[in-house]
Amino acid sequence: MMRGGTHPIAMLLCLLAATPALAHTGDLVGGFVGGLTHPVFGPDHVAAMVAVGLWGAFLGSPAIFLLPVVFPLVMAAGGTLGVLGVPLPGTEIGIAISAVLLGLAVVLALRPPIWIAAVLVGVFAIFHGHAHGAELPPGADAVAYSVGFVVATGLLHLAGIAIGYLAHWPAGRVAVRTAGGLIALAGFAFLVRLA
Amino acid sequence: MNARVSLLAVPGLALVAGPAMAHPPPLGITGFAGGLLHPLFVPAHLLAVLALGLLIGQQVTWGRMPAFAFVIGVSGGLGILTLGVVPSLMNELVLSCALVAGLLAAIARTVPEAAGCSLAVLAGFCIGLDSPPEALSLAEANLMLVGTGLSAAVSLFMAMEIARWLTSDWTRVAARILGSWIAASAILVLALRVVR
Repeated sequence: MMRGGTHPIAMLLCLLAATPALAHTGDLVGGFVGGLTHPVFGPDHVAAMVAVGLWGAFLGSPAIFLLPVVFPLVMAAGGTLGVLGVPLPGTEIGIAISAVLLGLAVVLALRPPIWIAAVLVGVFAIFHGHAHGAELPPGADAVAYSVGFVVATGLLHLAGIAIGYLAHWPAGRVAVRTAGGLIALAGFAFLVRLA
Repeated sequence: MNARVSLLAVPGLALVAGPAMAHPPPLGITGFAGGLLHPLFVPAHLLAVLALGLLIGQQVTWGRMPAFAFVIGVSGGLGILTLGVVPSLMNELVLSCALVAGLLAAIARTVPEAAGCSLAVLAGFCIGLDSPPEALSLAEANLMLVGTGLSAAVSLFMAMEIARWLTSDWTRVAARILGSWIAASAILVLALRVVR
Protein backbone atom coordinates (compact mmCIF):
# COMPACT_ATOMS: atom_id res chain seq x y z
CA MET A 1 0.00 0.00 0.00
CA MET A 2 1.15 3.52 -0.70
CA ARG A 3 1.66 5.62 2.38
CA GLY A 4 -0.66 8.55 3.07
CA GLY A 5 0.38 12.02 1.82
CA THR A 6 2.40 12.89 -1.28
CA HIS A 7 5.95 11.73 -1.70
CA PRO A 8 8.27 14.76 -2.14
CA ILE A 9 10.32 13.07 -4.88
CA ALA A 10 7.18 12.29 -6.84
CA MET A 11 6.05 15.91 -6.48
CA LEU A 12 9.44 17.18 -7.65
CA LEU A 13 9.41 14.84 -10.67
CA CYS A 14 5.92 16.00 -11.54
CA LEU A 15 7.04 19.63 -11.42
CA LEU A 16 10.05 18.87 -13.62
CA ALA A 17 7.99 16.93 -16.13
CA ALA A 18 5.08 19.36 -16.35
CA THR A 19 4.65 21.10 -19.67
CA PRO A 20 3.03 24.53 -19.73
CA ALA A 21 -0.74 24.76 -20.22
CA LEU A 22 -0.54 26.53 -23.55
CA ALA A 23 -3.89 28.25 -23.66
CA HIS A 24 -2.05 30.75 -25.83
CA THR A 25 -0.41 28.71 -28.57
CA GLY A 26 1.77 31.68 -29.48
CA ASP A 27 1.79 35.44 -29.55
CA LEU A 28 -0.72 36.26 -32.29
CA VAL A 29 0.03 39.95 -32.85
CA GLY A 30 3.75 39.51 -32.15
CA GLY A 31 3.83 36.58 -34.56
CA PHE A 32 2.22 38.57 -37.37
CA VAL A 33 4.34 41.67 -36.81
CA GLY A 34 7.48 39.52 -36.50
CA GLY A 35 6.69 37.82 -39.80
CA LEU A 36 5.79 41.10 -41.45
CA THR A 37 9.04 42.78 -40.44
CA HIS A 38 11.32 39.78 -41.02
CA PRO A 39 11.84 40.20 -44.79
CA VAL A 40 11.89 43.99 -44.50
CA PHE A 41 14.92 43.99 -42.20
CA GLY A 42 16.93 41.77 -44.56
CA PRO A 43 18.28 44.16 -47.22
CA ASP A 44 19.28 41.28 -49.49
CA HIS A 45 15.69 39.96 -49.41
CA VAL A 46 14.26 43.43 -50.00
CA ALA A 47 16.55 44.07 -52.98
CA ALA A 48 15.71 40.75 -54.64
CA MET A 49 11.96 40.98 -54.00
CA VAL A 50 11.73 44.50 -55.42
CA ALA A 51 13.82 43.35 -58.40
CA VAL A 52 11.34 40.55 -59.08
CA GLY A 53 8.56 43.13 -59.24
CA LEU A 54 10.60 45.51 -61.40
CA TRP A 55 11.47 42.75 -63.85
CA GLY A 56 7.88 41.57 -63.93
CA ALA A 57 6.81 45.08 -64.90
CA PHE A 58 9.44 45.11 -67.66
CA LEU A 59 8.38 41.70 -68.95
CA GLY A 60 4.76 42.80 -69.07
CA SER A 61 1.74 40.49 -69.26
CA PRO A 62 1.47 37.62 -68.33
CA ALA A 63 4.70 37.68 -66.26
CA ILE A 64 3.57 40.70 -64.27
CA PHE A 65 0.50 38.76 -63.11
CA LEU A 66 2.10 35.35 -62.73
CA LEU A 67 5.18 36.24 -60.70
CA PRO A 68 3.37 37.53 -57.58
CA VAL A 69 1.11 34.45 -57.68
CA VAL A 70 3.81 31.83 -58.30
CA PHE A 71 6.64 33.26 -56.19
CA PRO A 72 4.99 32.85 -52.73
CA LEU A 73 4.04 29.24 -53.53
CA VAL A 74 7.56 28.28 -54.65
CA MET A 75 8.99 30.24 -51.73
CA ALA A 76 6.79 28.22 -49.38
CA ALA A 77 8.20 25.02 -50.90
CA GLY A 78 11.70 26.34 -50.14
CA GLY A 79 10.50 27.37 -46.69
CA THR A 80 9.27 23.82 -46.10
CA LEU A 81 12.78 22.53 -46.84
CA GLY A 82 14.15 25.02 -44.33
CA VAL A 83 11.60 24.10 -41.67
CA LEU A 84 12.25 20.38 -42.18
CA GLY A 85 15.98 21.01 -41.80
CA VAL A 86 16.85 19.86 -45.33
CA PRO A 87 20.23 21.50 -46.01
CA LEU A 88 20.53 23.83 -48.98
CA PRO A 89 24.17 24.77 -49.51
CA GLY A 90 24.99 28.38 -50.23
CA THR A 91 21.60 29.80 -49.28
CA GLU A 92 22.91 33.29 -48.49
CA ILE A 93 25.11 33.27 -51.61
CA GLY A 94 22.08 32.24 -53.67
CA ILE A 95 20.10 35.16 -52.26
CA ALA A 96 22.91 37.61 -53.03
CA ILE A 97 23.27 36.21 -56.56
CA SER A 98 19.51 36.57 -57.03
CA ALA A 99 19.83 40.31 -56.34
CA VAL A 100 22.76 40.57 -58.80
CA LEU A 101 21.09 38.65 -61.65
CA LEU A 102 17.62 40.12 -61.22
CA GLY A 103 19.13 43.61 -60.98
CA LEU A 104 21.13 42.99 -64.16
CA ALA A 105 18.01 41.67 -65.91
CA VAL A 106 16.32 45.00 -65.16
CA VAL A 107 19.36 47.10 -66.18
CA LEU A 108 19.70 45.24 -69.47
CA ALA A 109 15.90 45.09 -69.93
CA LEU A 110 16.21 41.38 -70.70
CA ARG A 111 13.09 39.72 -72.12
CA PRO A 112 13.69 35.97 -72.11
CA PRO A 113 10.81 33.51 -72.80
CA ILE A 114 8.38 33.45 -69.89
CA TRP A 115 9.36 29.92 -68.84
CA ILE A 116 13.04 30.87 -68.48
CA ALA A 117 12.09 33.88 -66.34
CA ALA A 118 9.74 31.71 -64.26
CA VAL A 119 12.38 29.01 -63.69
CA LEU A 120 15.04 31.58 -62.77
CA VAL A 121 12.76 33.39 -60.33
CA GLY A 122 11.49 30.04 -58.99
CA VAL A 123 15.03 28.87 -58.20
CA PHE A 124 15.71 32.11 -56.34
CA ALA A 125 12.39 31.77 -54.51
CA ILE A 126 13.56 28.45 -53.09
CA PHE A 127 16.69 30.09 -51.65
CA HIS A 128 14.69 32.92 -50.12
CA GLY A 129 12.05 30.54 -48.75
CA HIS A 130 14.69 28.25 -47.27
CA ALA A 131 16.29 31.15 -45.40
CA HIS A 132 12.90 32.27 -44.06
CA GLY A 133 11.81 28.76 -43.14
CA ALA A 134 14.98 28.02 -41.22
CA GLU A 135 14.47 31.20 -39.17
CA LEU A 136 10.82 30.70 -38.13
CA PRO A 137 10.82 31.43 -34.39
CA PRO A 138 9.35 28.77 -32.08
CA GLY A 139 7.60 31.15 -29.68
CA ALA A 140 5.47 33.13 -32.08
CA ASP A 141 2.13 31.95 -33.44
CA ALA A 142 3.24 30.00 -36.51
CA VAL A 143 0.21 30.84 -38.65
CA ALA A 144 0.34 34.54 -37.85
CA TYR A 145 4.11 34.64 -38.46
CA SER A 146 3.85 32.82 -41.80
CA VAL A 147 1.00 35.04 -42.96
CA GLY A 148 3.02 38.11 -41.93
CA PHE A 149 6.11 37.25 -43.87
CA VAL A 150 4.27 35.97 -46.95
CA VAL A 151 2.30 39.24 -47.01
CA ALA A 152 5.49 41.30 -46.56
CA THR A 153 7.19 39.45 -49.41
CA GLY A 154 4.15 39.92 -51.63
CA LEU A 155 3.96 43.62 -50.80
CA LEU A 156 7.64 44.03 -51.74
CA HIS A 157 6.84 42.46 -55.13
CA LEU A 158 3.90 44.78 -55.57
CA ALA A 159 6.10 47.74 -54.66
CA GLY A 160 8.56 46.64 -57.35
CA ILE A 161 5.73 46.27 -59.88
CA ALA A 162 4.39 49.72 -58.98
CA ILE A 163 7.85 51.27 -59.46
CA GLY A 164 8.26 49.23 -62.64
CA TYR A 165 5.16 50.86 -64.11
CA LEU A 166 7.20 54.04 -64.41
CA ALA A 167 8.85 52.28 -67.38
CA HIS A 168 5.83 53.31 -69.49
CA TRP A 169 7.45 56.75 -69.73
CA PRO A 170 10.96 57.33 -71.23
CA ALA A 171 12.30 59.10 -68.14
CA GLY A 172 10.71 56.47 -65.92
CA ARG A 173 12.35 53.75 -67.96
CA VAL A 174 15.77 55.24 -67.17
CA ALA A 175 14.82 55.49 -63.49
CA VAL A 176 13.68 51.85 -63.37
CA ARG A 177 16.85 50.60 -65.07
CA THR A 178 18.92 52.71 -62.68
CA ALA A 179 17.07 51.09 -59.78
CA GLY A 180 17.94 47.70 -61.27
CA GLY A 181 21.58 48.77 -61.43
CA LEU A 182 21.54 49.80 -57.78
CA ILE A 183 20.03 46.44 -56.83
CA ALA A 184 22.72 44.58 -58.81
CA LEU A 185 25.43 46.67 -57.07
CA ALA A 186 23.86 45.91 -53.69
CA GLY A 187 23.88 42.23 -54.64
CA PHE A 188 27.60 42.45 -55.43
CA ALA A 189 28.15 44.08 -52.03
CA PHE A 190 26.28 41.23 -50.31
CA LEU A 191 28.44 38.72 -52.22
CA VAL A 192 31.67 40.50 -51.23
CA ARG A 193 30.55 40.58 -47.61
CA LEU A 194 29.89 36.83 -47.71
CA ALA A 195 33.23 36.01 -49.36
CA MET B 1 -1.29 -1.52 -6.03
CA ASN B 2 2.42 -1.71 -5.41
CA ALA B 3 3.63 1.46 -3.69
CA ARG B 4 6.79 1.74 -5.80
CA VAL B 5 4.81 1.40 -9.03
CA SER B 6 2.27 4.03 -8.04
CA LEU B 7 5.05 6.37 -6.92
CA LEU B 8 6.63 6.21 -10.39
CA ALA B 9 3.33 6.14 -12.27
CA VAL B 10 2.40 9.75 -11.42
CA PRO B 11 5.56 11.44 -12.71
CA GLY B 12 5.66 8.86 -15.52
CA LEU B 13 2.24 9.95 -16.72
CA ALA B 14 3.28 13.57 -16.37
CA LEU B 15 6.31 12.92 -18.59
CA VAL B 16 4.21 11.53 -21.44
CA ALA B 17 1.47 14.15 -21.16
CA GLY B 18 1.37 16.81 -23.89
CA PRO B 19 0.49 20.43 -23.28
CA ALA B 20 -3.18 21.46 -23.20
CA MET B 21 -3.49 23.39 -26.46
CA ALA B 22 -7.01 24.78 -26.45
CA HIS B 23 -7.76 28.04 -28.21
CA PRO B 24 -8.14 30.67 -25.50
CA PRO B 25 -11.37 32.71 -25.46
CA PRO B 26 -10.71 35.66 -27.77
CA LEU B 27 -9.81 38.75 -25.71
CA GLY B 28 -10.89 36.72 -22.69
CA ILE B 29 -14.53 37.02 -23.78
CA THR B 30 -16.68 33.93 -23.41
CA GLY B 31 -20.33 33.19 -24.20
CA PHE B 32 -22.09 34.26 -27.39
CA ALA B 33 -19.80 37.27 -27.99
CA GLY B 34 -16.71 35.11 -27.49
CA GLY B 35 -18.10 32.63 -29.99
CA LEU B 36 -18.67 35.41 -32.53
CA LEU B 37 -15.02 36.45 -32.19
CA HIS B 38 -13.61 32.90 -32.22
CA PRO B 39 -13.28 32.26 -35.99
CA LEU B 40 -11.77 35.71 -36.43
CA PHE B 41 -9.10 35.19 -33.76
CA VAL B 42 -7.93 31.70 -34.76
CA PRO B 43 -5.65 32.41 -37.75
CA ALA B 44 -6.10 28.97 -39.34
CA HIS B 45 -9.90 29.37 -39.30
CA LEU B 46 -9.71 32.85 -40.74
CA LEU B 47 -7.40 31.66 -43.53
CA ALA B 48 -9.73 28.78 -44.41
CA VAL B 49 -12.84 30.97 -44.42
CA LEU B 50 -11.12 33.64 -46.54
CA ALA B 51 -9.74 31.09 -49.03
CA LEU B 52 -13.10 29.34 -49.36
CA GLY B 53 -14.93 32.64 -49.76
CA LEU B 54 -12.48 33.71 -52.46
CA LEU B 55 -12.83 30.40 -54.28
CA ILE B 56 -16.63 30.30 -54.15
CA GLY B 57 -16.93 33.93 -55.23
CA GLN B 58 -14.40 33.46 -58.01
CA GLN B 59 -16.12 30.46 -59.64
CA VAL B 60 -18.68 32.03 -61.96
CA THR B 61 -20.48 28.74 -62.61
CA TRP B 62 -21.08 28.07 -58.92
CA GLY B 63 -24.17 29.09 -57.02
CA ARG B 64 -24.37 29.44 -53.26
CA MET B 65 -24.55 25.67 -52.67
CA PRO B 66 -20.89 25.39 -51.47
CA ALA B 67 -21.53 28.16 -48.93
CA PHE B 68 -24.56 26.28 -47.58
CA ALA B 69 -22.46 23.09 -47.53
CA PHE B 70 -19.98 24.99 -45.34
CA VAL B 71 -22.76 25.99 -42.95
CA ILE B 72 -23.93 22.35 -42.76
CA GLY B 73 -20.32 21.26 -42.07
CA VAL B 74 -19.83 23.83 -39.30
CA SER B 75 -23.16 22.88 -37.71
CA GLY B 76 -22.20 19.20 -37.81
CA GLY B 77 -18.79 19.81 -36.26
CA LEU B 78 -20.18 22.03 -33.51
CA GLY B 79 -22.98 19.51 -32.88
CA ILE B 80 -20.46 16.72 -32.36
CA LEU B 81 -18.60 18.95 -29.86
CA THR B 82 -21.73 19.01 -27.70
CA LEU B 83 -21.32 15.23 -27.30
CA GLY B 84 -17.98 15.87 -25.64
CA VAL B 85 -15.92 14.57 -28.55
CA VAL B 86 -12.83 16.68 -29.29
CA PRO B 87 -10.70 14.98 -31.97
CA SER B 88 -7.07 15.97 -32.52
CA LEU B 89 -5.37 17.31 -35.67
CA MET B 90 -8.45 19.37 -36.60
CA ASN B 91 -6.39 22.57 -36.84
CA GLU B 92 -4.05 20.85 -39.31
CA LEU B 93 -7.05 19.69 -41.36
CA VAL B 94 -8.43 23.24 -41.37
CA LEU B 95 -5.06 24.45 -42.66
CA SER B 96 -5.06 21.73 -45.32
CA CYS B 97 -8.48 22.93 -46.49
CA ALA B 98 -7.14 26.50 -46.56
CA LEU B 99 -4.18 25.27 -48.63
CA VAL B 100 -6.38 23.52 -51.21
CA ALA B 101 -8.87 26.39 -51.44
CA GLY B 102 -6.04 28.96 -51.66
CA LEU B 103 -4.30 26.98 -54.42
CA LEU B 104 -7.53 26.63 -56.40
CA ALA B 105 -8.16 30.37 -56.02
CA ALA B 106 -4.57 31.12 -57.16
CA ILE B 107 -4.86 28.81 -60.19
CA ALA B 108 -8.28 30.32 -61.04
CA ARG B 109 -9.43 27.47 -63.26
CA THR B 110 -13.00 26.15 -63.41
CA VAL B 111 -13.64 23.55 -60.71
CA PRO B 112 -16.76 21.31 -60.48
CA GLU B 113 -19.25 22.67 -57.97
CA ALA B 114 -19.50 19.23 -56.33
CA ALA B 115 -15.79 19.42 -55.51
CA GLY B 116 -16.35 22.87 -54.02
CA CYS B 117 -19.23 21.54 -51.89
CA SER B 118 -17.08 18.66 -50.64
CA LEU B 119 -14.23 20.98 -49.72
CA ALA B 120 -16.61 23.44 -48.05
CA VAL B 121 -18.39 20.82 -45.96
CA LEU B 122 -15.03 19.32 -44.87
CA ALA B 123 -13.58 22.74 -43.99
CA GLY B 124 -16.72 23.69 -42.07
CA PHE B 125 -16.81 20.38 -40.23
CA CYS B 126 -13.16 20.70 -39.17
CA ILE B 127 -13.59 24.34 -38.12
CA GLY B 128 -16.56 23.28 -35.99
CA LEU B 129 -14.65 20.46 -34.36
CA ASP B 130 -11.64 22.73 -33.81
CA SER B 131 -13.74 25.22 -31.79
CA PRO B 132 -14.27 23.62 -28.38
CA PRO B 133 -15.66 26.32 -26.08
CA GLU B 134 -13.82 27.31 -22.93
CA ALA B 135 -16.70 28.17 -20.62
CA LEU B 136 -17.61 27.50 -17.03
CA SER B 137 -21.26 26.59 -17.52
CA LEU B 138 -23.05 24.43 -20.09
CA ALA B 139 -25.34 27.31 -21.08
CA GLU B 140 -22.36 29.59 -21.70
CA ALA B 141 -20.59 26.86 -23.71
CA ASN B 142 -23.68 26.35 -25.88
CA LEU B 143 -24.00 30.09 -26.47
CA MET B 144 -20.34 30.17 -27.49
CA LEU B 145 -20.91 27.36 -29.98
CA VAL B 146 -23.89 29.20 -31.49
CA GLY B 147 -21.81 32.37 -31.77
CA THR B 148 -18.94 30.49 -33.42
CA GLY B 149 -21.23 28.90 -36.00
CA LEU B 150 -22.97 32.17 -36.80
CA SER B 151 -19.70 34.08 -37.11
CA ALA B 152 -18.06 31.45 -39.34
CA ALA B 153 -21.10 31.36 -41.64
CA VAL B 154 -21.44 35.16 -41.89
CA SER B 155 -17.68 35.54 -42.47
CA LEU B 156 -17.80 33.04 -45.33
CA PHE B 157 -20.81 34.69 -46.98
CA MET B 158 -19.14 38.10 -46.66
CA ALA B 159 -15.86 36.86 -48.18
CA MET B 160 -17.83 35.15 -50.98
CA GLU B 161 -19.92 38.23 -51.81
CA ILE B 162 -16.84 40.49 -51.77
CA ALA B 163 -15.03 38.06 -54.09
CA ARG B 164 -18.03 38.17 -56.45
CA TRP B 165 -17.56 41.92 -56.83
CA LEU B 166 -13.99 41.40 -58.06
CA THR B 167 -14.80 41.37 -61.75
CA SER B 168 -12.16 43.66 -63.26
CA ASP B 169 -8.85 42.21 -64.45
CA TRP B 170 -6.86 43.85 -61.65
CA THR B 171 -9.13 42.74 -58.87
CA ARG B 172 -9.22 39.18 -60.23
CA VAL B 173 -5.41 39.14 -60.15
CA ALA B 174 -5.53 40.52 -56.60
CA ALA B 175 -7.83 37.62 -55.61
CA ARG B 176 -5.40 35.13 -57.14
CA ILE B 177 -2.47 36.75 -55.31
CA LEU B 178 -4.41 36.58 -52.03
CA GLY B 179 -5.15 32.90 -52.70
CA SER B 180 -1.46 32.18 -53.28
CA TRP B 181 -0.53 34.00 -50.06
CA ILE B 182 -3.02 31.91 -48.08
CA ALA B 183 -1.77 28.67 -49.67
CA ALA B 184 1.88 29.62 -49.08
CA SER B 185 1.19 30.43 -45.41
CA ALA B 186 -0.66 27.13 -44.95
CA ILE B 187 2.20 25.14 -46.55
CA LEU B 188 4.73 26.68 -44.18
CA VAL B 189 2.66 26.14 -41.05
CA LEU B 190 1.87 22.54 -41.97
CA ALA B 191 5.60 21.92 -42.46
CA LEU B 192 6.24 23.49 -39.08
CA ARG B 193 3.61 21.27 -37.46
CA VAL B 194 5.27 18.18 -38.94
CA VAL B 195 8.58 19.15 -37.35
CA ARG B 196 7.37 20.39 -33.96
